[in-house]
Amino acid sequence: MAIDMSQSTGVGRSGDAGGASAAPSSRYRLNFITGTIAAAIGYLFGHWLGNAIAGHYPSIVNSGSNDPAMLLGFIFGTVGWFAGLGALNYPIAKLWGREVPLAEKKDKYPFMEYFSYSTDHKVVGKQYLVGMLFYFFIGGLLALAIRTELLSPTYHIWGPATYIEVVGEHGTMMMMMMTSIVMGPFGNFLIPLMIGSKKMAFPRLEAASFWFTIPAFFALLSALWEGGFQTGWTGYAPLSIQGGVGQDGYLYGFAMMGFSMILASINMVATIINYRAPGMRWSRMPVFAWGMITTAFTMLLSVPVLIDGLYVLGLDRAVQTSMLYGEHGGSPFLWENLFWFFGHPEVYLLALPGFALTTEILPVFCRKPIFAYKTSAAGMIGVAVLSFFVWQHHLFNSGINPDMRPLFMLSTELISIPTGFLYLVGMGTIWRARVRFTVPMLFMLAVFFNFLWGGITGVYNSDVPVDALIHGSFFVMAHFHFTIMGQLMFAVMGAVYYYTPLLFGIKLSEKLGKIHFWSMFIAFNSTFIPLFIVGFLGQPRRVFEYATRLQGLNQWVTISSYVLGLSLAFFVVTFVWQLVVSRPASPKNPWESRGMEWQVNIPIPAENFERIPVVLSGPYEYGNPNAGPIADLDPVVVGSES
Amino acid sequence: MLSKGARAGFVFVGFAIAIGVILFAVFGYLRSSPPAIAATAASSQPNTVNVVMQVDGAVGVGPHPTWVGYWVRDAQGVYHQTTIFKVPERTHVHMTIYEYDSGGPLRNEVWGKVQGVQGGAVSLNGTPVSLINSSAGNGVAHTFVVPQLGVTVPLYGVNGNAKNFCNVGPCNLSEAHNTIQFTFYSGNTTHNYRWQCFVPCGLGFLTGNGGPMQNLGYMAGFVQVVK
Repeated sequence: MAIDMSQSTGVGRSGDAGGASAAPSSRYRLNFITGTIAAAIGYLFGHWLGNAIAGHYPSIVNSGSNDPAMLLGFIFGTVGWFAGLGALNYPIAKLWGREVPLAEKKDKYPFMEYFSYSTDHKVVGKQYLVGMLFYFFIGGLLALAIRTELLSPTYHIWGPATYIEVVGEHGTMMMMMMTSIVMGPFGNFLIPLMIGSKKMAFPRLEAASFWFTIPAFFALLSALWEGGFQTGWTGYAPLSIQGGVGQDGYLYGFAMMGFSMILASINMVATIINYRAPGMRWSRMPVFAWGMITTAFTMLLSVPVLIDGLYVLGLDRAVQTSMLYGEHGGSPFLWENLFWFFGHPEVYLLALPGFALTTEILPVFCRKPIFAYKTSAAGMIGVAVLSFFVWQHHLFNSGINPDMRPLFMLSTELISIPTGFLYLVGMGTIWRARVRFTVPMLFMLAVFFNFLWGGITGVYNSDVPVDALIHGSFFVMAHFHFTIMGQLMFAVMGAVYYYTPLLFGIKLSEKLGKIHFWSMFIAFNSTFIPLFIVGFLGQPRRVFEYATRLQGLNQWVTISSYVLGLSLAFFVVTFVWQLVVSRPASPKNPWESRGMEWQVNIPIPAENFERIPVVLSGPYEYGNPNAGPIADLDPVVVGSES
Repeated sequence: MLSKGARAGFVFVGFAIAIGVILFAVFGYLRSSPPAIAATAASSQPNTVNVVMQVDGAVGVGPHPTWVGYWVRDAQGVYHQTTIFKVPERTHVHMTIYEYDSGGPLRNEVWGKVQGVQGGAVSLNGTPVSLINSSAGNGVAHTFVVPQLGVTVPLYGVNGNAKNFCNVGPCNLSEAHNTIQFTFYSGNTTHNYRWQCFVPCGLGFLTGNGGPMQNLGYMAGFVQVVK
């Protein structure tokens, strides 16, 4: 087949306009060490500047809370961080009218490449994977701290303030950092391979999106050492304005993560729309790519609203504008609406990638095509669109106009329809399949079991009378843990087992993986199912004490959570051991997938594909004897002799 | 490429560092709390201990110097910024609270009623009082409430226009204050009883339970009943 392989289609080797270019070689490349030093200098300068500007104001003197100093410290620290990483070299050079080419891609990188501002999507994907799992495990440790306190209603491990700090840190860490646990590692690594591209559209934005997560993480974590923030992840005013400087860590960390999400989603949208290989029609696009583009659009439309809210909150705290402070003429409802306009689509920013991964992997182990492929894509689009019309169900008890409640109850119930599409697509795919019960498949099956609990309870959570009863209780907490951890994190774990051959060239042990799966699955359900009961019996969230009659159930939950923690620790140890020490080699395409990402060699060549492939058929034609190859990986180029 | 043994060594060292950091975070930071002050035995009455506290308009120190908070006096007469004190079980606990904060009307007048103390009344500057009308006079500044022991004591506020108003603790007796004294029974078993300020505190905080109301050393604490 002869096709036009001109530059405009993104074809080309390093140095061409469409691909990566030769890099300026340097023996002393900037990396995270220089970034850390520059960040520390920047933070100290910003903090000094804040004190110089605002330290003498009566509202700050002797208040123990100098928000301008904290925020300027964070801002200059972040600028220093990016300068120290070398991320600012390119924009500064452009200002001087010089062109700085991208670093040259390699088949194999030195170790320090993974600690540098790399613009290779495969390196960024791995950086994201390690970073996101690290953030997840820190959040998980905080969860164990919560459960330890709840072992007893009367004997206290932590003080009440420490408890609420830990709850806030855990919630915010999970909700803000985990938005990128699929798009970051798997999206960046896989999308170019899946759609037949040599690169992402904006490699520098891609790198920046990852390196923004690190100041976000440390700003958030630093709150623990600054008295914490007592608002939980929702940051409601006026408590968020009255809080100590720990609240600055919350708002700055969230904002940095917001920037990361915006950059990542711009890159994802541009890549999927513009960098698909010839023949990669929308109707042939992998479901995972559908999941990424719907997630990215949802991010692009929702995250700026959050950043706007955080900006307002920052002004209220630092320069006392009182936009969210009712006593001074502002409105706390402004924050609630800005936050939840992001906050509820945020829930689907977590759920959609989980479904995308699940639907992508299911047919490989069912050995049959996805059931109702178009319905799957429609379900994702439907969820993404409707997610912008439900946010006020979080405000049923806040004093909103009661006439608004039925509307948002209805819209919330409506979203169960496209969500049901996604669920039924999965069920239809499994139906009468000759399932291969590998570790990734077990995790994907668990996604559907877990999501059933979370999904069904979500439907009547949205009913005003039920919501009024269970609002703020452990019932709601159990519900969203089933939809987020039970769905997203099980999908991520399955994807880690599934994609390690591509990511790292190793195939993780099935035996160890099954121990991990079964212990995690049983412990997860044993932890969260009783919390529905605890919530129904009236235990409130965010309070470190509870009725003595609930101690038995709470102890059961806590012990189950320890088993869950041990299961995840087992995963970490076995994963790191196999990755670093034993390194069990993987054959090419060990799962016999038809996906284009699996058609490349392991390890993946620097440019992914020798030539831009031409896509010939869909990726899910399992069991179809007439299905041809998915793509021509070595197409004849117009004007070439081959 | 490093040898397999070297890589295994790096993995072990990495895990050891991670565990060390976690243990440091738990025991070096998260487990920290204000000191617990032991009550002193009353010299004149058997089976009775004394606890002396003061509540200030602002504690003046620490991470939240502008927050209202308590100080507890130890056996040497030194005040500590804490809200945790230890009393023996099966004991009468004689409390003396020096109240230095201004007051106001209660959002719910029921919190003006004294409950759960011996005699059904407290001594307010030497006068027995069983109910404070917070709409009159200086109003109620705080409430000292131990829910599981059924103790509720409204603390009458000082005049906000007093010339010798104290707003940085620990305050001294030459500054404007009220003295509230009462006695409650510590119960027959060892237990950690939570106490805190309910109404009039907590206005503007999430479910009335944020900020000082959930911070030890400010408006929340424990009565530790020990053997």
